[in-house]
Amino acid sequence: SAAASSSFDLRTYWTTLISQIEEALDAAVPVRYPESIHKAIRHVVLSPGAKRAPPIMCIASCELVGGLRSAAFPAACALEMVHAASLVHDDLPCMDASPLRRGHPSAHALFGVDMAILAGDALFPLAYQHIVTHTPSPDPVPLSIIPLVLTEIARAVGSTGMAAGQFLDLSGAAAGSEKEILQVLEKKFGEMAECSAVCGGLLGGASDQELEALRRYGRAVGVLYQLVDDVLMESNGGTGKMRSNASIVKAVGMDRSLELVEEVRAKAKKELDKFKDKYGEKVLPLYSFVDYAIERGFVVEGR
Amino acid sequence: PALEPAVSTDFDFRGYMLEKAAVVNCALDAAVPLAHPDRIHEAMRYSLLAGGKRVRPVLCLAACEVAGGADAWAMPAAVSLEMIHTMSLIHDDLPCMDDDDLRRGRPSCHRAFDEATAVLAGDALLALAFGHLANPASYPTDRSVPPDRIVRAVGELSRCVGSEGLVAGQVADLEATGVGAPVTLDHLEFIHLHKTAALLEASVVLGAIVGGASDDQIERLRKYARSIGLLFQVVDDILDVTKSSEELGKTAGKDLASDKTTYPKLLGLDESKEFADKLLKAATEQLAGFDPIKAAPLLHLANYIAYRQK
Repeated sequence: SAAASSSFDLRTYWTTLISQIEEALDAAVPVRYPESIHKAIRHVVLSPGAKRAPPIMCIASCELVGGLRSAAFPAACALEMVHAASLVHDDLPCMDASPLRRGHPSAHALFGVDMAILAGDALFPLAYQHIVTHTPSPDPVPLSIIPLVLTEIARAVGSTGMAAGQFLDLSGAAAGSEKEILQVLEKKFGEMAECSAVCGGLLGGASDQELEALRRYGRAVGVLYQLVDDVLMESNGGTGKMRSNASIVKAVGMDRSLELVEEVRAKAKKELDKFKDKYGEKVLPLYSFVDYAIERGFVVEGR
Repeated sequence: PALEPAVSTDFDFRGYMLEKAAVVNCALDAAVPLAHPDRIHEAMRYSLLAGGKRVRPVLCLAACEVAGGADAWAMPAAVSLEMIHTMSLIHDDLPCMDDDDLRRGRPSCHRAFDEATAVLAGDALLALAFGHLANPASYPTDRSVPPDRIVRAVGELSRCVGSEGLVAGQVADLEATGVGAPVTLDHLEFIHLHKTAALLEASVVLGAIVGGASDDQIERLRKYARSIGLLFQVVDDILDVTKSSEELGKTAGKDLASDKTTYPKLLGLDESKEFADKLLKAATEQLAGFDPIKAAPLLHLANYIAYRQK
């Protein structure tokens, strides 16, 4: 599969999509009255350096099962809004207290804590509104699919998903066992990737069996990126970004961490193998995400 | 009093409110089961199940009824509206916002738990509200509420709650607090139409949508809801200056002491009462074309909002 992935140009695929996604996001969050909150929302959604991984995952999963890019595009943008909303709240002084996000001042540092909370609160309904008003339906997306997409996003973000992940991370899971740390990573990072893959699959017309495979694939990839981030950070002597208090390397050591990386990579690829017979080369983008998580052969940048 | 009830029928409004609130409370309890991690679910339940009159869910059920639907059709929307109302209160009470230690007579969520848990509990309630409304599994299995109505309801709720709805009202309110310049009547109306009326509008319109109302009926009910939303706030302001703390069960005269802009301050007490009368009339007029028996709950809800003594 290494040879197969290398025949696919992930960099071009990803950067082209980033431009399209950012254009759509830019149009989706105009400055309206009251201006202050809309400026905060724009800062959060259009923040430079974002990799737009949830939307890319969503679109690639939709295209994998033969769906049109236009079917998944509004949901893909909505996923980025929801993702951005969770980051704003994670950065708050009462949470991770991060004055910076990707090297730029975080929303609360620029706009105040109250505006940062409200920007996060507004982005969630905005994401829902975006899906409902922009998804092309009933053709090619049957109307009955849209509630399923909306339900999936709510599940991923909610009290047993990302909110649970952030809660567990804050309440000291960093000092926990391998199992506890993996649970934080699954909830804090795996859920969003899982949800993105499932939403793409739903919008592209995937079967139930395919959706379950995409669910497991997405979750594995979300965890994989974070595991590799931890490993890279430790290898760099502890410098670099830290998106979670829980570090797998500190908990289980480098050797076991590298083993885990391989286990999760194999798990993600195993799920994709199920699509090969039916969809052939269409699996390449999703394969390449798995390898990129580990190789990081280029820096992802938008326009 | 300047306001006299416009109608008196033998409709048992008190009984209706109590009965519906009980059904809604059961549905809310079931919608947020304890799960791992316990503490965040405890915080959600603490705030959501704290009591209150459940005005928004009851409006939703009543609007569904007037459109010809059954309670079971509107219950997912009713539950989601109370969840969103609760999350907005949790976030509003935070130290960086209104900094309130008390809510419904007991410690606010961030006092009973902590700030991070309160932010996350609010976020989770917001997600759960939309999830509950959107999930086909929340509805009767006979597809009495088809997907097009569910999708329309979600679109309506998201508009009423977002940066051009509820959040816009919160922002306008924050920006009006502490500035030297007096708040104009237009700005005051903007705050209330968004901070209070938007969610009441969503309550009525969502009920109408899932109940199968026509576009024309939905728009009439929307006008009804906007009027009672503003009415709610005007009456609140009037009570603050005309009632004692004992009568209100909360600190009276707080608006005057806190320098908050109110209708009595901008219009005077008499003109505020006239405005309330006008809003009540505007609301009830919208109910004229509906079956009077089915519209009785909405009519009495409007009167209740106008004539409540606290």
